[in-house]
Amino acid sequence: MRIKPERFRHNSLFSKMFLITVLIIVTISSLITWTTFRMSEQFFIDRFSFNNSKVMEQIKESLGTFHYSIVIASNNLMNNGTIKGFLSGTHSNRMLGTYYYNVKKQMDNIKTSVEAYDVEIVIYGMNGVSFAVPERPSWAKSDKVLQNHFITKNTLKHPKKLLFHLEHTKDQTQGGMIVASKAFMEPTSKYIYGTMYFTIQERDFRKFYNSYTSLGNDVLVMNQSGTILSSNRTELIGNKEVELLDYAVQLEKQEKKYMNADFKGTDHLIMIEYLPTFDLYLVNLIDKKAAFENIIDKKSIVLICLLFIFLAIIIVFFASRKVTNSLSNLVKQIENTPKNEFDRYIPETGTYETRQIGQAFNSMLDELHEYVNTLVLTQKQKRNAELAVLQQQINPHFLYNTLTSIKFMVQQGGKEEAVEMVNALISLLQNTIGNISETITVKQEIDNLKSYALINQKRYGERIRVNYFIEPECNCIQIPKLILQPFIENSFFHGFNQKRGGTINVLVWKEGETLICEVLDNGDGMEVSADNKLPHTNRKRERFSGIGVRNVDERIRLIYGEAYGVTISSKIGEGTKVRISLPFGQNEK
Amino acid sequence: MKKLLALIMVCMLLLAACSSGSSNGTESEKGSADANEITVWAWDPNFNIKALELAKEAYASENPDLKVNIIENAQDDIVQKLNTSLSSGTTKGLPNIVLIEDYRAKSFLQAYPDMFHPLTGSFETKDFVQYKVEATSVDGENYGLPFDTGATGLYVRTDYLAEAGYTVEDLQNIDWKEYIEIGKKVKEATGKRLLTYDPNDLGILRTMIQSAGKWYVKEDGTTIDLANNEALKLSFKIYKELVDNDLMNFHSDWNEFLATFNGGEVATVTTGNWITPSIKAEASQSGKWAVVPHPSLPGMESVNASNLGGASWYVLDVPGKENAVDFLTKTFGSNVDLYQKFVTEIGAIGTYIPAAEGEAYKTKDEFFGGQSIVSDFSKWAEEIPQVNYGMHTYAIEDILVVAMQNYLAGQDLDKVLKEAQQQAETQIK
Repeated sequence: MRIKPERFRHNSLFSKMFLITVLIIVTISSLITWTTFRMSEQFFIDRFSFNNSKVMEQIKESLGTFHYSIVIASNNLMNNGTIKGFLSGTHSNRMLGTYYYNVKKQMDNIKTSVEAYDVEIVIYGMNGVSFAVPERPSWAKSDKVLQNHFITKNTLKHPKKLLFHLEHTKDQTQGGMIVASKAFMEPTSKYIYGTMYFTIQERDFRKFYNSYTSLGNDVLVMNQSGTILSSNRTELIGNKEVELLDYAVQLEKQEKKYMNADFKGTDHLIMIEYLPTFDLYLVNLIDKKAAFENIIDKKSIVLICLLFIFLAIIIVFFASRKVTNSLSNLVKQIENTPKNEFDRYIPETGTYETRQIGQAFNSMLDELHEYVNTLVLTQKQKRNAELAVLQQQINPHFLYNTLTSIKFMVQQGGKEEAVEMVNALISLLQNTIGNISETITVKQEIDNLKSYALINQKRYGERIRVNYFIEPECNCIQIPKLILQPFIENSFFHGFNQKRGGTINVLVWKEGETLICEVLDNGDGMEVSADNKLPHTNRKRERFSGIGVRNVDERIRLIYGEAYGVTISSKIGEGTKVRISLPFGQNEK
Repeated sequence: MKKLLALIMVCMLLLAACSSGSSNGTESEKGSADANEITVWAWDPNFNIKALELAKEAYASENPDLKVNIIENAQDDIVQKLNTSLSSGTTKGLPNIVLIEDYRAKSFLQAYPDMFHPLTGSFETKDFVQYKVEATSVDGENYGLPFDTGATGLYVRTDYLAEAGYTVEDLQNIDWKEYIEIGKKVKEATGKRLLTYDPNDLGILRTMIQSAGKWYVKEDGTTIDLANNEALKLSFKIYKELVDNDLMNFHSDWNEFLATFNGGEVATVTTGNWITPSIKAEASQSGKWAVVPHPSLPGMESVNASNLGGASWYVLDVPGKENAVDFLTKTFGSNVDLYQKFVTEIGAIGTYIPAAEGEAYKTKDEFFGGQSIVSDFSKWAEEIPQVNYGMHTYAIEDILVVAMQNYLAGQDLDKVLKEAQQQAETQIK
């Protein structure tokens, strides 16, 4: 469980970036889709109302043509003498036979004006005769039915008008019929001698507008009382829609082309035109939901959108992972750098930016290394210089003490002894101050030790003896100046404070590739601290040079490295052993 | 990146597959339509369409894979569509099988012989009544499979006859002269006219002349035969006599026709057997009707049988014609049981002679006083003289309607017919 937050921490940039991008993609797509829906809906409403007002014009025109042809036919019927004769007066069977023949001829002629439509014409006389071309419509099966029919009664009430009725039979297979009727009336005497009926099947009447309708885009023909005479929505035929009649009046008052209103509980765009010749209303109902939902396939648009969002998210996922991966890898490696002591470089991969960062980081590491190296070097050089300076310093106390000793010798007449001491001093000074090189051979160092020991012996007496055991092959090995002298000095001044006398042995030999120098005394011995270092001494005045016992180890390590140095072991009452290890040969660092 | 590309490709392929899929679907549908579907056009849902439904039902046991689409159209529409398509030289949009009235059949068969698929040999012509085979054939080649017979009879009101002192026996195998005499008596006794006719429809003339083996044209089907047609002349005279004696009631349309005899206004009805259901529609008159043979023309070679109407099935030369022929021959062409069903369920009498042996044909009808009218009609159908209806029956009849009115108005018969002959010859060329 601990791994996950860790991974998440490394991918936090990716997660944030990815989440934000996904959020933006989804939001923008939804917004665009929504706006598209709204805009296209508005567009369609505009289009619809514009188109449909044109369509209404066309329907009006074709209805007008139809109406005109019926008017022509009715005028012809009215002015036809044969028909007038047929419909008025009483006829014998024989005459009826002739009339049937003649009237058919006339009617066939008159029928040509309505030939374009499937219209059945019936004429019915006050004398009880009737004739129909091409066939009798089903609503007027017999003369009796015709006589008592509400259409006939209506027509006789308004003899001057061409009236449109709906004959709505209950029989579903038959469908409704639109019947235009008018009375035969003598123009001067106003004598009514019959009625005429033009019957068109409602489904044929529907053809005037049916091709303009579609799902949710309905056309209705309504009379002044709100009864639907014809509609592509057959379930409405015969219904009384007072609601629509109200809208018709409103539209007429406002002189508007269309209005948004509620019809049967759904939101509709309603256009109503009054057809003056028919005395009917032409109604165009557009069910917004059905019409527009059908046009805009919302489901597939949303699906396509989702598909593209999905594709975009996949692309974003892979692309941003590729970008952030190199960055988070870089971060991981940079984090690990301190663990690897700053010497592991990070790979310069990934995008331009991450490559640049890697390069910068690597060159920074380079510079850091360089700086540290320089710093270490200068520190070393500084210490070296310091030690060198110390080494060059001959303690003036030593000099004037020695010279004082020589003066006493001379005063006491020890001429030989004085010369010997002067020689030793000269040799000592020569090797230390005169020789400017930092190193000298083992032999020279031993000579120095001898000179020093001699001077000390002359000054303090012969109670401490010094023996030298040098492997001959070590004689010409170069070693730093004055590395053994401080230990002899130490033994002289501290090793024999309790004991009256003793021996100091100096041993130099080769051990493998290492040169070992040992200074052993059998003096008082001392407490050795854990780090094998000699205790500090304040007796500076007794020293020969600036180099103290403590500096030697430091100096060897500076020159030759950590593998070399000084170790001291001591036992109280038994003596002290100082062991110095140096590289055999000139492998100065 | 590769994976992404692949994904996009897959999406595109899917989209492409979807759109092409739908078009494939419609193509395969079309293919199957040709192979296993036939379409039939006919008119009259209560008669022809019902017969087709029965035939389809019967055929389902023979070949359940074939889908038969039955489409109802008005006869005028069928004629118009056939004329339009065939005269444009195309059979596109036409059905495999179409019902054509016998009077009109020749006008199609002679004008567009290549468009129809000959049925010669695919059914036994001997099994069908001969006048029907003649009506459906051109130059010895059978094109139509005969369907219903228009065999005519004289439907008489036995109660009215009884009032005038006649029995059904007195009306068997009479001629028109005798018929008119009986009519006069009946009118005297009951006040009812003898028969009713539409002055614009000369079906009565057609039945008269066919009973004498004559038609408006000569046997070649094209030569107009009016002026010197003795049968026609006699028919005109009989018609005028009927009118002059006020034996002929006039009606203006079909509904009035039905109302007239259902209302007991006339003593007889002379027309095709297809009127039977309409006569039986007035149940209160059950037992008061009988059917006797159609009157013959007096004084010339004429039989007591004639025909009015009737139609036959034709196969158009369009893909699927083999299926169409198979459908027709196995149903209308040979299925005796099917013809029994036609009689019992529709009242349709076929022209397939073996069917007359079936039970349904022999059933006694109580409405007609226990008479086996179906078997009578099929017996008479076999006697109907063959005539060549030719191509112009209705065109000539339109001319004759005028001629008849002129004749009735008092013009000389020979002159009237001569004018009609001239008019027909100029019009129909």
